[in-house]
Amino acid sequence: MTSYFDKRTQTPVETRKYVHFYVAFSGLLFLGTVWSLWDEVVSRRPWKDYQTEYNDLLAAKYDSLALDAQASVDSAAVSQATEAVASARAALSAEEYVTTNERKTDLLEELEIATREWRFARSRSDAAYYQYKKDLAEGKDATSSKAELDGHDADIAKWFESRNNLEREIAGFDLILEKYTTAVQKAEVELRALLGAVAGYQAKAEKQRQSPIAIHQVVKNDYEFTPFQEVKARVDRCQTCHLGWREELMTDAPQPHSKHPAPELLAQHNPETFGCTPCHRGQGPALTPGFAHGDEDHYWETPLLRGNDVYASCNGCHYNETRLKFAKPYVKAKQVVIESGCYGCHEIKGFSDLPKIGPPLYSITAKATPEWIYRWVRNPRDYSPHTRMPNFRFSDEQAEAVTAYLVSASRTSEFTLERPRGSYAGGSPSEGKRLFEAVGCQACHVTAGFTTVRDVRGTSYDIAPELSRVGSKVNADWLFDWLKNPRHYNADSRMPSLRLSDQEARNVVAYVMTMKDERALDKFSVALDDPDRIARGDKLIREYGCAGCHLIKGMENEGKVSVELSDFGRKKAEQMDFGDTKPIQAHGEQEYLANDDGTVSVQHTWRGWIYGKLKNARLFQTERIAQKMPVFEFSDEEIKLVRMFLISMTRDIPLPAHQRAYDKRFQDIEGGRRVSMRYNCQQCHILEDEGGYVLAKYEEAALGPPPIPETQGAKVQEQWLHAFFKNPTTIRPWLKIRMPTFQFNEEEIGKLQKYFLGMAHQDMVIRDYASVQPETDYLRPGRQLFDTYQCAKCHPSGPVSGEGAADLAPNLAMASSRLKPEWISGWLLDPQRLQPGTRMPQFFFDGQGPDESVLNGDANEQIRALQTYVWSLGRRSGTPIADR
Amino acid sequence: MQCRRVLGILILGMTIASAGDVTGKVAFAGTPPKGSPLQMTADPVCKKAHTKPVTGEDVVVNKNGTLRNVIVYVKSGLKGSFTAPKDKLVFDQMGCLYTPHVLSLMVGQELEVRNSDATLHNVHSLSKANPQFNNAQPMKGMKMTKTFAKEETFKVKCEVHPWMGAYIGVFNHPYHAVTGDDGSFTIKGLPAGEYTIEAWHEKYGTKTATVKVDASGKATVDFSYKS
Repeated sequence: MTSYFDKRTQTPVETRKYVHFYVAFSGLLFLGTVWSLWDEVVSRRPWKDYQTEYNDLLAAKYDSLALDAQASVDSAAVSQATEAVASARAALSAEEYVTTNERKTDLLEELEIATREWRFARSRSDAAYYQYKKDLAEGKDATSSKAELDGHDADIAKWFESRNNLEREIAGFDLILEKYTTAVQKAEVELRALLGAVAGYQAKAEKQRQSPIAIHQVVKNDYEFTPFQEVKARVDRCQTCHLGWREELMTDAPQPHSKHPAPELLAQHNPETFGCTPCHRGQGPALTPGFAHGDEDHYWETPLLRGNDVYASCNGCHYNETRLKFAKPYVKAKQVVIESGCYGCHEIKGFSDLPKIGPPLYSITAKATPEWIYRWVRNPRDYSPHTRMPNFRFSDEQAEAVTAYLVSASRTSEFTLERPRGSYAGGSPSEGKRLFEAVGCQACHVTAGFTTVRDVRGTSYDIAPELSRVGSKVNADWLFDWLKNPRHYNADSRMPSLRLSDQEARNVVAYVMTMKDERALDKFSVALDDPDRIARGDKLIREYGCAGCHLIKGMENEGKVSVELSDFGRKKAEQMDFGDTKPIQAHGEQEYLANDDGTVSVQHTWRGWIYGKLKNARLFQTERIAQKMPVFEFSDEEIKLVRMFLISMTRDIPLPAHQRAYDKRFQDIEGGRRVSMRYNCQQCHILEDEGGYVLAKYEEAALGPPPIPETQGAKVQEQWLHAFFKNPTTIRPWLKIRMPTFQFNEEEIGKLQKYFLGMAHQDMVIRDYASVQPETDYLRPGRQLFDTYQCAKCHPSGPVSGEGAADLAPNLAMASSRLKPEWISGWLLDPQRLQPGTRMPQFFFDGQGPDESVLNGDANEQIRALQTYVWSLGRRSGTPIADR
Repeated sequence: MQCRRVLGILILGMTIASAGDVTGKVAFAGTPPKGSPLQMTADPVCKKAHTKPVTGEDVVVNKNGTLRNVIVYVKSGLKGSFTAPKDKLVFDQMGCLYTPHVLSLMVGQELEVRNSDATLHNVHSLSKANPQFNNAQPMKGMKMTKTFAKEETFKVKCEVHPWMGAYIGVFNHPYHAVTGDDGSFTIKGLPAGEYTIEAWHEKYGTKTATVKVDASGKATVDFSYKS
């Protein structure tokens, strides 16, 4: 059979027909056009449906609001108002209104003519004037031109007069007409007021239904650098589908329509100019969910961050901040990273100047026995289940070698006790227990009977060693030395001195030494002075990077043993080794699964790898691949926080113009935050709305350490605060807990001072407070008010004899050397505002003081008088307040 | 429109017709703890106000073996919202004691706080849901009015006189009462229905009971506490 094409070739070219091809191809072209139109307009435009859906949803909400408003409208009043409108409108056809209106129209026409004639007359006058002047200049006879000019001027006056008359007449008619029109307007306004809310909602609903379907995009020019260091812009179209991000009514609406859950963050990062992807990531210009979120685009490197992971983006601009008011998870993540000392082994941008988290091991044998050291090295959590020291999973032999090195290094230490051996003896354990519980040891240290602070703090690790078994760790001589002056043993210690007297310290030693490890442990007998063993220990310590956290003799300058993390977020799952673990469903809820056969399943993704690694640092170890990272015991929450922090570790940083400005005030605050973090101020004090963990111990907040409000810098005098940090004195004698002496250096004190001042928006100025004189005119009324308001009921104002009724509030004799005078006024006006929960009551309300007979009862004047009097107190008595 | 109004009046009439009172007693079993006398020596004004020694009011057992100062209230089962009563309650500081020691009121209802002593008092609310206040009344005869926006029971104390303490129960509805010197209470005008009634005492905590108020409009529920 000959085919169609064979036949064709036999036909002469001239007679061949092409019509079939044309029909077929034009048919194809037509179908192609239809398909491409359909694809373009319908199938690839889900955002159009979203917008319609959004508009309908919001319009429906307005409709229901309109219905609610309708229900609350007084229907009788509405019909009355409607009638009023109708009758006012009917009045417009009354004879007076109609005739006046007609006459006004006539007059308006006349006015128009008069105005025109007046203008013409002026033009003619100008022309005549020119002619007249010209004649004069040329020396011609100007009489006739003068006469013409005068004639035109008379016309101007005539028409002007006629205009004025007409305008007056029209104004008279307007008054009559207005009477009618204002009546209509008034009635309409009244009706509208009654239906106002209803009509408003209806109009909004209508407007919403009519609102155009369009792409909403934000373009940020010069936003960031490409990997090739070229400046590039960023385009976000997220708001095309997420239309309701700021609509209050859409708070509970389903996605993509719902309102943004953190409006406080949007106030700082306006999505209209800042876009969405700088925080949420994803593919900004894409308009379908899969591509915009990056889940369906395998090659998109920065898919949407879900859940708390979104806080990782804070790091781009806020990498040098440790506290962000509206990003609690980010702050917490950073806290976990800092407190766990990750930067000891890993280089992390922004974490290079932090001190080592572990104690120095130079003189470890002065404190603990080799036996204890061995057990600790072997498995720290065996002795202290909440320690921050991770488990290196050393073999017995390795632990012996490490111990041998540490003990031999410690033998050459020059550390000696400040007091002779045995000085600790003679303490009373019961008295020591009372002191231990009162002065504040429990703010940082957990004991078997008191874990409240750990529970409130909510981390899986303790911030200071748990003391439940410490009697089996340290020796009493060392402990006595340590309690008297912690910096003697460790020059950089964060442990403060509680200013214990010798006897008090002896009592505490006696109590603390009763807390023993009651377990029966195997005897430890190994020759620690074997040089081979010491050499092996040396090698192990260097290999495992112990010097990252501890100062160890001969290893002060060791580098970081592990990889740098500053760009870790950019690593790909393909670059990671999952060892012998089995995969579980990627992006699912399940993060970690211990299988029955002893293997472990994790998600084989970047996030899954991190989870597995932080859960068990040796998880991906195989026969061939050894791993050295020690095992931490992070909680699930902490693992996720640290992972979020690692997500943030990229070098994708917006250009400086898009970042916040780090001015001096900010630097001051941040500097102080780091000092406060190092010394754990928040264990006791509420600072920037966080902390005060020890307060859980007290029935009433006023019996615990006072909060440090943002206004602290405006409260106390710079000189006083400096002296207080150097050597704390008693301000609140009713408190059992003591502000310890932290042995801050001058730099740290300066940072803390600037921190408090910065928060209070004040600058460090050296002011001579002693020269601030009380205003003599106000002294007498101040004294009178002080008596009437019975301030002395709670505040002593001179030397205190002992525990009395007047021991409820700070001694006011301190005021003039401690407080800033302006602060006293603010405090008197509203104490609860400055310090919520304070025992100091408010005396002044609505600009009035309780006693109206003094200074006309004016609150400001009375406060001024009281401030003056209080300021004079300490100055007058001249008696120094006894330190307690 | 007219129809709806008539219907409204009808419904209202029906609810009134089927509303009832819940009454009862709060019994106390066992030996009441011996109240320690309050030491008022710190403030001579307080000391002078009393000729006999005063004991604390944390547990007051009446002569008929019932417990005073127990708030009894409807805990659940109510429908709809309620408007606050217009009448003002008085909370007085007299003889350096709070009178009454326990009171209950409705959200939005006015409470007049008075100082009838010639000494400095302050009223510090240890409220959690409502904003805390701590106001001083240094002079005799001073008054101030407070209202509360949220439902909760909280303590009120005076910093100057540490023995002074009182409790205020704020409720979203008007169905609550405090037991008096015969240990009885009456919750008035409760619409027919089934309710959970709870009793609260500052020291002995809460007890609950269910009660059915039927069309006849009477129901009884008793509570009992043990020492």
